[in-house]
Amino acid sequence: MPADETAGGAGDEASGDGDADPADESQQAPRGWWRRYVFSTDHKTIAKQFLFLGLGFLAVGGFLAMLIRWQLANPGAPFPLVGKLLYGSSGGVISPAAYTALFTMHGTIMIFFAITPILIGAFGNFCIPLLIGARDMVFPRLNLLSFWSMFLSTAILTASFFVPLGAPQAGWTAYPTLSTAIGTPGLGQTLWTVAIYFNGASSIMGAVNYITTVIRLRAPGMGYFQMPLTVWGFWLTSILNALFVPVLAAGMVLLFFDRVFGTQFFIAGTAIRGGGDPILYQHLFWLFGHPEVYILILPAWGIVSDLLSFFARKPAFGYRVTVWSMIAVVVLSSLVYGHHMFVTGMSPMLGESFMLLTMIISVPAVVLFFNWLGTIWRGAMRTTPPMLFALGLVFTFAIGGLTGLFLADIEADVYLHDTYFVVGHFHLIMAAAVLLAAFAGIHYWFPKMFGRMMNGPLGKLHFWLTILPLNVVFCGQLLIGYAGMQRRLYDPSAYEFLRPLLELNRGISHAAFLLGAAQLIFVVNFFWSLARGRKAEPNPWQVGTLEWTVPSPPPHHNFDRIPIVRQGPHELGNPRVIEALGRDWLAQDEEMP
Amino acid sequence: MSRVAGAGGAETGGGRTAAARDVDATIGMTILLGAWVMLFAALFLAYGVVRVQANEWPPFGAPRLPRGVPALNTLLLIASSLLLRRGLARARGGGASSVATAAAAAALLGAGFLGAQLAVWRVMLARGLFPSSGVYGSVFFALTGFHALHVLGGVVAISVLAVQAARARRRGRAPLRALRLTALYWDFVAIVWVAMYLAVYWL
Amino acid sequence: MSARIPHDASVNGHLVDGIFRYIFVATTACFIVVVVVMLVAVVFHRAGRGPAHYTHGKHQVSYVLTALVAAAIFVGVDLVAMRRSADDLRQHFWHFPDRDPAALRVEVTAQQWAWTFRYAGADGRFDTADDVVTLNELHVPVATPIYLKLRSKDVVHSFYLPNFRTKIDAVPGNTTRLWFEAREPGTFEIGCAQHCGVSHYKMRALLFSTSADDFQRWLARAAGDTALRRDTGPPVAIPDVDGWDWES
Repeated sequence: MPADETAGGAGDEASGDGDADPADESQQAPRGWWRRYVFSTDHKTIAKQFLFLGLGFLAVGGFLAMLIRWQLANPGAPFPLVGKLLYGSSGGVISPAAYTALFTMHGTIMIFFAITPILIGAFGNFCIPLLIGARDMVFPRLNLLSFWSMFLSTAILTASFFVPLGAPQAGWTAYPTLSTAIGTPGLGQTLWTVAIYFNGASSIMGAVNYITTVIRLRAPGMGYFQMPLTVWGFWLTSILNALFVPVLAAGMVLLFFDRVFGTQFFIAGTAIRGGGDPILYQHLFWLFGHPEVYILILPAWGIVSDLLSFFARKPAFGYRVTVWSMIAVVVLSSLVYGHHMFVTGMSPMLGESFMLLTMIISVPAVVLFFNWLGTIWRGAMRTTPPMLFALGLVFTFAIGGLTGLFLADIEADVYLHDTYFVVGHFHLIMAAAVLLAAFAGIHYWFPKMFGRMMNGPLGKLHFWLTILPLNVVFCGQLLIGYAGMQRRLYDPSAYEFLRPLLELNRGISHAAFLLGAAQLIFVVNFFWSLARGRKAEPNPWQVGTLEWTVPSPPPHHNFDRIPIVRQGPHELGNPRVIEALGRDWLAQDEEMP
Repeated sequence: MSRVAGAGGAETGGGRTAAARDVDATIGMTILLGAWVMLFAALFLAYGVVRVQANEWPPFGAPRLPRGVPALNTLLLIASSLLLRRGLARARGGGASSVATAAAAAALLGAGFLGAQLAVWRVMLARGLFPSSGVYGSVFFALTGFHALHVLGGVVAISVLAVQAARARRRGRAPLRALRLTALYWDFVAIVWVAMYLAVYWL
Repeated sequence: MSARIPHDASVNGHLVDGIFRYIFVATTACFIVVVVVMLVAVVFHRAGRGPAHYTHGKHQVSYVLTALVAAAIFVGVDLVAMRRSADDLRQHFWHFPDRDPAALRVEVTAQQWAWTFRYAGADGRFDTADDVVTLNELHVPVATPIYLKLRSKDVVHSFYLPNFRTKIDAVPGNTTRLWFEAREPGTFEIGCAQHCGVSHYKMRALLFSTSADDFQRWLARAAGDTALRRDTGPPVAIPDVDGWDWES
C-alpha cells in the first residue's frame, strides 16, 4: 500500500483532507432532494442539469431567431401574437435598437448557453466516465462548481435584458469601440462581459476535469487508441478550451476595465495622447474565437465518427488517422484566426500567411470525410434516428466546410466578408452540423440517461422536417450573401441593390419558421418519452462501448466492477464474432472468440 | 451504506489511493495553472501591443513609477512562496505544526504585499496617474490590479488552510493536498508577479 | 426569387468573380462526390442486403488512398486558388497607385452614420482651405485609379463597394486604404459592412462615376458649395479625422 502522506494520519483510503475519494462518494448515492437533484456531484445528474439548461436556452435563442427572420421578411411589421408583449411601446414592431439586441443575444445564447452546455457540458459529462469505464469524473466537486458557474452566468445574462438601456447591442463579437462605454453605454453590455467571463470559467473548470479524467481514469486495457472517438472529441475540445477560453477571459477583463474604470486598451488615442487599439481586441477575441468553432465541432466529429460505425455495423474506417486529423486541427486552429480580420487592413504578408494556414486546415477535414465515407461504404446500415442525424451532419458539414474555402481566400473574402455568405457558412457548420450532432446524441444516449427509448418514427419525422428547411434557410443565406447583402441589417431595403432580395429573404424566413415549428416535434418526443417511453434495455443499439454494459439508467456508481478492456470500441461485423457468438458486435470488455 | 462488492483494490473496485489522488490533483492543478498562464499571457500580449504602438514609453509627462516598494513587494512574494514550500517539506517529516506556522507566515507576507501594492496605487493616483490616463495608466492599473486580485484570493485560501492546519494539530490530519495545490498556485502568482514587475517597472 | 451578384463596374472585379467561379466549381465537384457516395451507401449498403464488410481501414492501401485524396485536394484546389489569389492581390488589389500621378486621392471619414469624402482641391494638398468635402457622395472620373485613405471618428465601420467587389474597414486610430477604378459611368451604392450601431443599416452613400469632363465640372461646383458652407463658420471637427495630411 503506497505510503500515506497525511501528517500524522493513519487512514488508508481517503487522504483525510476533506477531499473524499470519489470511489467513496460514488458508491454512496446521495440522499435528500437537494443533494440528489440540485447539488449533486454525480456526473450523470450534472449532465442532465446542463442538458436542460442548454435545451431551455436553445429554445430562447431559437425564438430570437424567429424574431430576426420576421423583421427581415416583413420589415416594420409588428410581430404576431407576443409582439405587443415584448415591444409594447412600439405596438409590437421591432425597432432598430431592439433588432441589434436580438442578433447580439441570439449569437451569444446559441454559442455560450446552448451548444456549449448541451454538447460539452451535458454529453461530455455524461459520456466520458461511462465510456472510459470510470465511476465518475476525477473531480466531482469541481464538476458541481462548473455547472453552477454556468448557471450564474445565465442569471447575469438574463439580467442584462432587464436593465435600463437594455440588453447588449454590439453583436456577439462585441467589437470595440462599439462595445465600449462610448458606443454602447449602459449596464447591459457590462453585464454581458461578466456573464461571458463566468461562462468561460465554467468551461475551463470542465476542461480541467475532462482532461484529467481521461488521463487518469481510463479502465485497465483502454489505451488512448482504444477510446471511443466520442471521448477523443471531448478530450481534444477540452484542451482547446483550457488554452483559449482564458484568452477570451482576458479580452473580457480588459473590455470590462475599459467600460467601468475608463482604461483605454481598446479606445484609440488622439494626436495629443497615445491610445489603445480596437484591433487589439479583435486579435484577442479571434485567438479565442477561431479555436472556439473547433471547440464546438470536435465533440460533434467524435460522436458522428462513432455513430456512423455503430449504425453501419462495421468499424470506424481509419480510426488512428481520424484521431491524428482531429489533433492536427487542434494544433492548427490557433494559427488561422486572422482570416476573420482580412479586411482590417493587416499587412499583406500576415494576410497571406493566415490564408495559407487556413487552407491547410482544410486537409484534416478532408481526411475526416474520407474516413466517414469509408465507414459507411459497404456497411449494413440501420437508419435509426441517431444515424439519420449523423448522416445529416455529414451532408451539412460538407456544404458548410466547403463554403469555408471561399472565405479562406482573401480575394473572395474581401467581397464576402460581413455578408450573409459568412452567416450561411457558420450556421451550416454550427447550427446545422453541431445541432444535428446534439439531436443524434440525444436520441442515442436518451435510453442510457433516462432508461426509456425515444419514439423512432417521431424522431425520423423530426429529422426530415429539420434537415430540409435547415438547408433552405442556410443555403439561401449563402445565395443572399453572394448577392451582396451585408450582415446585421435591420432593413435591407435601405439599399436599392438589396431590394430584389426581399422575395428570397421572405422564403428563407418562411423556411426558418417551419424549422422552428418542427422542433416542437422534438420537444413532444423528448418529454413524452421521458414520461412514457418504452423501457430501455441495457444495450438497445447493440454496440460494444462500455456505457452499454451497464443498466439503463446506470446505478450511481456506474460499474459494479471496473471493466477490463480487451477490444477497441468499434468491433462490429467481425466474421469471427458472428460465427462464434451469433451477433455482429463485441463489447469492449469481452474476449475475442 | 456498504461498499459495493469487488471494490477492494484500485483496479477492479475503482477505489483510489491517496497517492493516486495526489497525482490526479497535481495534474488537474497544472492544467488549471496552464489556463491561468494563458490568461496572463494574453494580458501581457495586450500590454506589448499597446506599448509597441505607442510613440514613446513612458509617454511624455507620465508620472514616474516607484522602484523601491515594488522591488520589496517582489521579495515579499518570493519569500512567502518559499516559506510555504518549506513548511510543506517539513510536514512530510511529520511536523504538522510547522505547516500551520508556515501557512500563517505566508499569508501574512501576502497581506503585506497587498498593503504595499495599495500604497503604490495611492502614490500614483496622487501623482496624477489614473486608470483613465491613457494606455500607460491603463496598463499599470489593469495588470497590477488583476494580479492583486489573485494575490487576495491566494491570501484568503492560505489563511483558511492555516486555520485548518492549526486545528488539525489536535486531530492529526492536516489538509496537505489542498496546501500542496495552493502552494502551486502561490508559486504561479509569484512568478507572474516577477514577470509583471520586470515588464511594467523595468522594461 | 433570384440572387444575382451586383453588376461589376470595376476594372478588377472580374478577378474576384473568376476566383469565385473556380472555387465554386472545385467545391461543387467535391460535394457531388460526397453526396453520391453517401446516396449509394444509404440506398445499397443497408441492413438486410448482406453483412457489412469488416475492415478497420488500416491497410497500406487505405493510407495511401487517404494521402492521395488529401494531397489532390490540397494541391489541386487550395494551392491553385492561393496562387491565383496571391497573384491577383499583389498585382492588382494591393498594387496601390502610390506613384501614379493620374490617381485621384480621396480621404474618407466614417462616422455614425454617414460617410464624408474630402478632395484635395486645386492645391493638391489635404487639410487646406480649398478642400472639397462632400457628405455621402463620392464622385469619381471613369478609367482613373481612385485611391482612398480611410479613418473613423468613432467606431469600426467598413467601406463596402458591392459593384467593385471590395471593402475595407475604417478603424478609429488607424488609417486604412483602398483603391479601385471604375470602368463605366453610373451610380453605385456604398454600404457599411461592419455593425456600427442602431443605424448601421442606413449608413449608405452613393458613388457617381462620370466622364472626366463631367467630373471636373462637378468638382468646380462642389468647391463652391464647400466654400459656401465654410462661410457659416468652421465645422466642429475632430483633428486628424476630418482631413489630414495624406502622407502622414
